[in-house]
Amino acid sequence: MAAQLTTELGRSPVTTAGYGRMEKFSYDDAVVRKFLIATLIWGLVAFLVGLIVAFELVLPTILKYVPWLGVLVNQPDSPLNGLGQYLTFGRLRPLHTNAAIFAFAGNALFAAIYYSTQRLCKARMWSDLLSNLHFWGWQFIIVCAALTLPMGITAGKEYAELEWPIDLLIAVVWLGFFGTNFFMTLKNRRERHMYVALWFYIATIVTVTILHVFNSLAVPASFFKSYSVYAGVQDAFMQWWYGHNAVAFFLTTPFLGLMYYFLPKAAGKPVYSYRLSIVHFWTLVFIYIWAGPHHLHYTSLPAWASSLGMLFSVMLWMPSWGGMINGLLTLRGAWNQVAADPILKFFVVGVTFYGMSTFEGPMLSVKSVNALSHYTDWTIAHVHAGALGWNGFMTFGMAYWLLPRLFQAPLWSKRLMATHFWIATIGILLYIIPIYFAGITQGLMWRAFNETGRLQFPEFVETVTRLMPFYWIRVLGGLLYIAGMILMIVNALMTWRARPAVYEEPVHEAPALIPGYVDEPAPESHLVGNLEVGRRMDLFIQGWWHRVWERKPLKFTIWVIIAVCVASLFEIIPTFLIRSNVPSIASVQPYTPLELMGREIYIAEGCYNCHSQMIRPIWAETKRFGEYSKPGEFVYDHPFQWGSRRIGPDLAREGGRQSHDWHVRHLEDPRQLIPQSVMPSYQHLLNEKLDFDSIQSRIDAMAMLGVPYGDAVKKGRGAELAKAQAAAIAKDLVIQGGYADLEDKKVLALVAYLQRLGTDISKPPPTAEGMPVAVSGGTP
Amino acid sequence: MNQTEEKLMHHEYDGIREYDNPTPGWWHLIFIASIIFSVFYAMYWHMSPLSSSIEEKWKQSQVAEYQRLFGELGTLHNDETTLKMLIGKADMMAVAEGTFQTTCASCHGKDGGGINGVNLTDDSYKNVKVATDIFNVVTDGANNGAMPSWKNQFSENERILLAAYIMTLRGKQPASPKQAEGNPIPAWGF
Repeated sequence: MAAQLTTELGRSPVTTAGYGRMEKFSYDDAVVRKFLIATLIWGLVAFLVGLIVAFELVLPTILKYVPWLGVLVNQPDSPLNGLGQYLTFGRLRPLHTNAAIFAFAGNALFAAIYYSTQRLCKARMWSDLLSNLHFWGWQFIIVCAALTLPMGITAGKEYAELEWPIDLLIAVVWLGFFGTNFFMTLKNRRERHMYVALWFYIATIVTVTILHVFNSLAVPASFFKSYSVYAGVQDAFMQWWYGHNAVAFFLTTPFLGLMYYFLPKAAGKPVYSYRLSIVHFWTLVFIYIWAGPHHLHYTSLPAWASSLGMLFSVMLWMPSWGGMINGLLTLRGAWNQVAADPILKFFVVGVTFYGMSTFEGPMLSVKSVNALSHYTDWTIAHVHAGALGWNGFMTFGMAYWLLPRLFQAPLWSKRLMATHFWIATIGILLYIIPIYFAGITQGLMWRAFNETGRLQFPEFVETVTRLMPFYWIRVLGGLLYIAGMILMIVNALMTWRARPAVYEEPVHEAPALIPGYVDEPAPESHLVGNLEVGRRMDLFIQGWWHRVWERKPLKFTIWVIIAVCVASLFEIIPTFLIRSNVPSIASVQPYTPLELMGREIYIAEGCYNCHSQMIRPIWAETKRFGEYSKPGEFVYDHPFQWGSRRIGPDLAREGGRQSHDWHVRHLEDPRQLIPQSVMPSYQHLLNEKLDFDSIQSRIDAMAMLGVPYGDAVKKGRGAELAKAQAAAIAKDLVIQGGYADLEDKKVLALVAYLQRLGTDISKPPPTAEGMPVAVSGGTP
Repeated sequence: MNQTEEKLMHHEYDGIREYDNPTPGWWHLIFIASIIFSVFYAMYWHMSPLSSSIEEKWKQSQVAEYQRLFGELGTLHNDETTLKMLIGKADMMAVAEGTFQTTCASCHGKDGGGINGVNLTDDSYKNVKVATDIFNVVTDGANNGAMPSWKNQFSENERILLAAYIMTLRGKQPASPKQAEGNPIPAWGF
């Protein structure tokens, strides 16, 4: 401690002003221990749910292969009867992604921030109460997510599925508990300047707050149901502004902060370049936020937004690599150390995966590459390289480094740790390599024409069955990765058992910071014989001015907010205000009350996890699915349902392509009609009654968002209109194929919705006001 | 660079030091190049008359495809002569087969044997008495929507071509034929 003080004071020969009396303090490691344990537990859960959904793709009829399981969930007298409907791919996939991002990576980044912030600030967290409220609040949110998502309670926007009461809770816990605690700790720090890790933490906290709040704005229709305030093109834009930047500010910036603290700590080496950390921090924060629209290439998003998304992604390549360079070059000359220390191995592989992903990201954002990769498994491989490689391995490295320090006992087994490293590395490779092959295979199959000019693989299901061998290897890779996680949990448990009866809490000492500090004088430029302007430029590039910012957290934070908001507003304002972005189509009308309920079922079942509703203006695509989607078709879609992956075919023009009877049979058991289908059976939709009484609250909420429901709102006729349309469809159904007694069942609402999809543009424009909800009959 | 020559910054945080190394030159080069590329890209695709939009390119493909298919034939008419002529053109039938596979096979089966929709290979038909009726069924649908209408999805030429292809399914031996529905009708006559 004294040595540090000398360094600090010795550096500043002018004065020792600005340092007050010596203060004693200790660090709160109890909360770090909690976050670390939560990381391990939720990590295992997230990976296991991932394994289940991976199995569901290769064995869609798993219940038939395991008779006792089938009996358990299908027999009317079994206590688990009906369990199957909560475990379908569409319901579990959001649970997997949310658990991996917010529970596993979330708890890991909290552990990293709570451990390093205290030490970098020479201060205990401002409030132990807030630390604990943050911890328990976050775990409560995770439990709520784990319960609501399988129940089909979802807002229907990827990675932002949680419904509005949980969203409110997230805002309170994130900003109210965590943010307040963090910024008050910064304010009360005893280290004059903020280290680069803290800059990344600041960017994380403010930006995630902004993203979460603005993407989640919704009008509640009930306690468990809300509608996004944005619709169609605008909703898609907001969602991917959020979705992309959740990757940026939840999975990248905090983990870069983690790297900047734990990697040099573990290696015992100085960081490669201070100047690079300044340049790449600011360019990253400013450029990242623009890149969201690259998730929407070739869609109904206006072309200018799409181009901005692509170009800023290309420009983002080097700012992202700044972090990789600083990480890897810090280890120069220490490779013998890396060879001997599994912790450094985890960090090296983690940072390498970061470098790969942040090269691949800009590449995938190039429109012509994206035309092939979009909707395929290529994206899935990309995100798993990032999540398993970068987030996973950085977390594992940090955890192994922390375990002996937090539990104050030597790590139980170094060999087990080394084993974990190797099987997890092989696991990642076995996961991502076949999935890259799967993605490219499917993308090429979709666009293949034969010599006569017809699609070479006209049946969609062919392009899915071809992927099965790859999917099996993925299951194997996932199993290995999970096995590694289990080894780590065992290692942690055994280390914990050797902990002392009472944890030691060392007391540290440092002088308080008081006003009166005098900054270093500006350095002289080394350039001679240049103009004064040149010399100033040189000094600016040297970055000495940044040193002053580093001791002013408030100013620093405000600049981060400005960087993030300016970039966002440049895209958001034109997207919302320029009318030509979404040319209106007169014949596009709101969904009928029954169709609206069907759409709710579509969202609850998570259909968007496998089906897109966005046909791109690409010849092979319109050949397969029909006319490409137009921006004006989605103006009543709160939320949009364009999807991001096609494990099943696109449904944007599904309306009228099949009979009602086909849809009911297909939903009952898809394999009745398409033997190779991997879609789950939705038998329960044929059994469960539709809640007609809840329709009116839905219509009223939609009307509040400006959807012109006319009479259905004013006279409260929602349920009546829905019943009439259901009766019409039920009548047709009997004539078509013989399904009877379905008119009060959920399946009819879903069929009504599916039959409506994409049909409005070929209808004549309406003649009279208030007709939108008039029942047009069941016949498509 | 030898490590001993590198300059350490004065500061230190919890034992972590930093070097005063400059940002690598290649880093600057690529970063600046990516910015310059972006400017030119935006100018070419959004301000220059030389480029065409994605929708325009799609339209060009559509025109080229239509020209390729129907350029010589011009506007088709739903009569026996035309249908007979189309059946005789192997390349046209291959195109129609592609349409059938993407659009019709989910109900009528890949080989026309029928799944949920009727068997198209046997001699019985529900809504067809003569060959030219097929076009009407494809166009307007039948049986209260059990057979959907395809008026909005396909041009008249495409529907006639499809009707010709459906005629050729009659008499084929499907893998698992569905039971015959409707009434037997006389052979097409050629």
